[in-house]
Amino acid sequence: MVALEILIYGAVLSGIYALLAVGFALIFGVARVINLTHGAFYMLGAYITYALSVLLNVPLILSIIGGMAIVFLLAICLDRFIIERIRTTMINVLITTLALSLFADQVILQIFGPDNRNIPAVISDRVTLLGVDIAGQRLLSLIISVAVIATLWLIITRTRMGNALLATAQDPEAAQLMGINTGRMFMITMGIAAMMAALAGGIVGSFLTVAPEMGMLPIIKAFSIVILGGLGSIGGSIIAALLIGYLETIVAYLISFNATELVPLVVIFITLIFRPAGIFGKRRGF
Amino acid sequence: MPASILQIEDLTIYYGKALAVDGVSMMVEDGETVAVIGPNGAGKTSLLRAVAGLTPSSGRILFREKAISGLKAYEISRQGISLCPEGRRLFPELTVRQNLDLGAIMRKDHKKVKTDLENALRLFPVLKSRAGQMARSLSGGEQQMLAIGRAMMSDPELLMLDEPSMGLALMVKESISTSIVEITKAGGTILLVEQDAGMAMDISKKIYLLENGRIRLEGTAQEMAGNPHVKEAYLGIA
Ligand SMILES: Nc1ncnc2c1ncn2[C@@H]1O[C@H](COP(=O)(O)OP(=O)(O)OP(=O)(O)O)[C@@H](O)[C@H]1O
Ligand SMILES: [Mg+2]
Repeated sequence: MVALEILIYGAVLSGIYALLAVGFALIFGVARVINLTHGAFYMLGAYITYALSVLLNVPLILSIIGGMAIVFLLAICLDRFIIERIRTTMINVLITTLALSLFADQVILQIFGPDNRNIPAVISDRVTLLGVDIAGQRLLSLIISVAVIATLWLIITRTRMGNALLATAQDPEAAQLMGINTGRMFMITMGIAAMMAALAGGIVGSFLTVAPEMGMLPIIKAFSIVILGGLGSIGGSIIAALLIGYLETIVAYLISFNATELVPLVVIFITLIFRPAGIFGKRRGF
Repeated sequence: MPASILQIEDLTIYYGKALAVDGVSMMVEDGETVAVIGPNGAGKTSLLRAVAGLTPSSGRILFREKAISGLKAYEISRQGISLCPEGRRLFPELTVRQNLDLGAIMRKDHKKVKTDLENALRLFPVLKSRAGQMARSLSGGEQQMLAIGRAMMSDPELLMLDEPSMGLALMVKESISTSIVEITKAGGTILLVEQDAGMAMDISKKIYLLENGRIRLEGTAQEMAGNPHVKEAYLGIA
């Protein structure tokens, strides 16, 4: 029974982590940018969904889409007006995106205060799956994560734009020689990744806490997943998201829920010491 | 008189304070192969990169009488200038076929793309049998052929090749020369950078000799082949 619960709850958690980590990995893979505002996008997605649905009575699904759209625009502006200018210096990117992320937390804190908020669920019923009782919204979040990541994968591997993204990731200068506007590719990547984070924020808001600092832990998780999966590798980050999602679930069940936050940190240490290039070793494009 | 396709006037390139190209002027006409020869560090690669928009420069670069200096590399590529860069710069984790397709990624004339792909594969048949292989797994000569094929796939008005014979065995070198001649025969215009002066003279109409960032000599292949300085320093004939 516990095994089945771990199986299902672990999948839900892994799905959310993958939604966050794949975007984070995508930005690094294509643009070589470690974007520390990624967690802020997740947090903003949750707060915009909250503001639209609870405060302005916009239908919930529209609110989530609204959150994604606004965060998409913010991410594109961030890329265009800030990251574009400092892209080549990793340390500037790290410091700037960290500062912006703290700034976003403060803005939200000033507007909404420190209290936890709740976003209603799209599906408020509970369902039983393989004999495990689970909130419908959690199951929905799993389905959405899988669908979104599968769609992204198809876009990258099957479309012209995907080819242009892969080329940009492997050699931006050579990609420009093919006529590809690499600056636009970086911007689109940032927008798509941010939108995925905002989506995650919008759908988890009914079963996880919505608070100004909610983006901090996910960024550490995304980081640990991306380090474990190999920086920039999308396939690697999906598998690493599964590993960490399940590890945390197992720890929560067998040890204590409070110990779960240690999992990503331990994973970071162990990976960096024993296998610094990630589980798949050498970085290979995607 | 054939129209000039590329005209470079007083091109100057600095890397920081170091002067790499110093007031170079040159011209490429429609349908001809022009070669730039010169020793290591002469500024040949810098010159091609400046034309392609990858390296900032001052002076004037005119493509079909229109100034292209200051345009982004992707814009210059879309106007019809294709660079096969030094070091090949293939997309290593993509297949041979994907690399070729990327050469044509901006094109809308899909029928012509198909025939161009067939032409490229006819020119370099080995690429056909390697179509599904990752570019990184090709041999050096095969990679060079793929790089040239990829540069051709954009159906450029001007094809620039940076040392296509670099590091290749004599036989492969010859087959690359043959393909360059064929591209010209089919009406293509080529600006070639080559350290192998003999090869450059065999396949080009006009030659520029670049030394220390300046044009030291220019002339037809015959004129250059008869020049004592060229003979001594570049053809190894005393
Ligand atoms: N990115 C760079 N930064 C600083 N200096 C550079 C850079 N690229 C080239 N140079 C310098 O500019 C000069 C010309 O280099 P360039 O690569 O154009 O020569 P080249 O003629 O292509 O030589 P080779 O035949 O060895 O390829 C050299 O002195 C080189 O050291
Ligand atoms: Mg060179």
